[in-house]
Order: sequence, then C-alpha cells, then structure tokens
Amino acid sequence: MNDKSTWEFGTRQVVYGAIGAALYGGLSLLTNVIPLPAAGNITFRPAVAVLIFFGAAYGPWVGLLAGFFGNTIGDWFAGWGFYWHWSLGNGLMGMVPGLIMASIKDFKARPEIMKAVGWGTLGIAVGMLFASVMEKLTGGIDWSTAIVGYFVPAFLGNFIVTIILLPILMIAFAGVAAQRGR
Amino acid sequence: MLVSWKYRPRNTFIQRLDPRTRFIFMVCIIFALTISDIWDYRIIFPVFAISLTLYLMARIEWKDVRRAFIYIFILVFFIVGLNGMLSGRGGPSSVTNIPSPVVFTVPFKIPWTDLGWDVAVTVSKIWFALNQMVRMLTMAMLAIPIPYTLDPNIYGTAFKRMGVSDKVSFTMDLAFRFLPTTVRDLMITMDAQRARGYEMDKLKGGLFSRIRKLAPLVIPVVMQSTVTGEEVIDAMDLRAFGTAPRTWLKELHYANRDYLMIGLGVAIFVACCILKWGFGIGGFIVPQFFTNLLVG
Repeated sequence: MNDKSTWEFGTRQVVYGAIGAALYGGLSLLTNVIPLPAAGNITFRPAVAVLIFFGAAYGPWVGLLAGFFGNTIGDWFAGWGFYWHWSLGNGLMGMVPGLIMASIKDFKARPEIMKAVGWGTLGIAVGMLFASVMEKLTGGIDWSTAIVGYFVPAFLGNFIVTIILLPILMIAFAGVAAQRGR
Repeated sequence: MLVSWKYRPRNTFIQRLDPRTRFIFMVCIIFALTISDIWDYRIIFPVFAISLTLYLMARIEWKDVRRAFIYIFILVFFIVGLNGMLSGRGGPSSVTNIPSPVVFTVPFKIPWTDLGWDVAVTVSKIWFALNQMVRMLTMAMLAIPIPYTLDPNIYGTAFKRMGVSDKVSFTMDLAFRFLPTTVRDLMITMDAQRARGYEMDKLKGGLFSRIRKLAPLVIPVVMQSTVTGEEVIDAMDLRAFGTAPRTWLKELHYANRDYLMIGLGVAIFVACCILKWGFGIGGFIVPQFFTNLLVG
C-alpha cells in the first residue's frame, strides 16, 4: 500500500491527503469537546495519532495536507473559525513523520514502530511549537502563556495519544496491507 | 459510497455570492481580528453585528443548525468562556496585568490533599471572557453557514480559481466530500461496537485507559478508509488524473455584489490595521459601565 518515493505528489497523495483530512477533521469534531487542563483554546485530540499514522504511512505531503485541511475542517465545523497558524502547525505535525515513510518496511516490527513514534513526537514538537509561537505573534499572549499554556499541554496531550494509538494503528495497517497484497 | 451534505439551494443573497467572495470575506474578518490583534469591544461588537446579519441573511432553518449551535455554545461558553474567566489567558497579557476589582473567588482543592488555592475572578477576566466569546462567535457565524449554503460541487473550483494548484484544490474538494462518509462510518462503527457491548459514553479509567478504549472505534474506520482509498486511486488513475492540467466543470464569475462584499471585507481589515497600528486603538480595555455593573 506504500509508494516509497518520499516527495512524490500524485494521485495517491491527493487521495490519502483528502482521506486523512476527513478522518482528522471528523474525529476531531467528535473529541473537540474534551479540553486540556490549563490550556487556553486547546482541546484533546485522539485523532492526532491518525494524522501521524497517515504521515508515516503515505509521506510528508499527505501528512501536511491531512493536517492542514483536517484541522481547518475540524475547526470550521466546530465553529472555531480559521486559524492558519494552528492549521499549518497541524500540517507540520503530519509532515515531519512523513520524512521516514521510505524507511518503514514492516509496520508491525517494533523498531519501525519506535521510529514512527519518535518522529511523530518530533512532528508534534515542531508543529505545536510553531503554532504556539505564532499564537504569541498573532494573539498578543506572552511567552510563558505561549509555552506553558499552549505548547506544553498540546504537546503532552498529543504525545500521550500518539504513543498509545499509533502502534495499534501501525499493527492493524500491517494486517490490512498483507491481506490486500499491495 | 459518498453521501451528500445537508446543502439545499436557497434563493438568498448569501447563496448568490461567488464562493470565492465568501472565503475572501471570511479571511478578511479573521485576519482583521487576529493579525491586528483586536480585543476592543468597540470594534469587535460591530463586526459581530455584521457577521450575525450575514448569518441571518443566509436564512438557514434552526432545525438544521440546532445541533451545531448547541455544540458551539458548549465549546465557546464552557471551554473558552470559563477558561478565560478563570485564567484570563488565551488573549492579551493586559487582561491579568491591569488592576481590576475582584468580583468573586473560586476555591480549587487538590483531591485527597490539603493543597488548594483561590482563583480570583476579576471584572477584567469576565469582560475578557465575554469579548473572547463574541470574537470567536464573529468568526464562527461566517464559517457555520458554509456547509449549508455552499454547493459541495464548487469547493474545488473555488480553491482553484483562488490560485491554488489543481492537485491541492482537488485534495480539499475530496476532503469535503469524504467528511460525511467518514462521519457516517464512525457512527456505523460506533453502533456496531455498541451492539458488542462497547460503551463509548461510559469510558472509565485513567487517561491512558480511556485513549486505549477509543481504539475499537478509531481503528476500523481508519483501516476501512485506507482500503477505500486504494479503490478511489484506481478509479482516478483509470481516468488519467494528474497527467494534464485539469479542467473544472463549474465556471465562476464575480458580480457587482461580490465586489461590494470583498470591498467591505478589505475595508474592515484595513480599518482594523490602521486603528491598531496607526492610532493604537483596538487593545483590550474594560469599559467603566461594565465595572460599575458588576461592582457598583
């Protein structure tokens, strides 16, 4: 199910970018009502694991598109409006783990899963830090609020979700890929 | 495979607008409030009135949007409002920096310990929470009608005509089309799992346990989507998607009303920027009447 050309942008990337966005947006809608403690306008999103999985499985463009459009869709339908920096931050969160797509050969092998979780964590850090810093620039908040109030809870919430759900998603994906034989 | 939106054609001014106009106007309002960092109620409330007017002009029946509004009100009032009122965070630091009379205190206590503290709710925090809620509703009022009043067939065309590439436009187009299918799949999966004894409404245990218990809902939907994706790719490849510049069935044309709305949006954006950066107006202030109202 995996084309290993990391930076290719063809039909596969368009379709899985769209599916990832719909899944991320749809699942976010269901869980947007769960607030993170101590955070301003940040909610708990189990769907982040799905976004990182799409990045790791289908590449950086898919992760970027799924994160950007998925967050936009989720925010629109939740009525939050359009916050470009959070959408782009979510896009980066999906894009960074996509950089290791070509190196993942076996989705149920423990080292590969650990690698995906590690790069997913890096993606969360990069994406949420970008959004939090941009929030400071556009929202007028101070550094401590940007880091303690936004980045830390967003990072921790997404990290916990990722280490629990991403391995399950990868193992399930390995089974599906083996059944389909492509 | 695909299900449609609750979109219905209505003969309204809003639906006669070019979709690009609506996106551009919405972006103008969002940028006007966020980029210039407007927190002044003298600007936020009039812009909210414009958003509300446009929303009402869309003439969407209450029964259609009731659930969305209940959800949004819960989100805005309980998450944003309460958070803003208790912490004063999520906006400018002046909310907590300026001296403000305390209206009441909320005691917090860590369970099973003697540790605890009182959170002071000040006039400034309450006014900030109110402003933040109105600010968010201003943007939400422009976003909510979109799925109800914008033909799903023209999302892709609209993005393409705004200068986005074919593939990215089509990704956005497909994402909007997949969303109802995804939500439907989630509902079907939830019902199927409930029939097997899965109780999503009663997820118990710690944070880790609760997340793990979401797996029976999330995994089948994601895996089904990956399989569906292969079928969609095959169908698109058979139609030679991406081999040449794509043509779009729908044509879009601006009318005078579109220029009027875009002009209004740009004017609001420019006015907010000039007020904020030119005259220093637009920062967070607490009006005296509100202070008098709460503390006399």
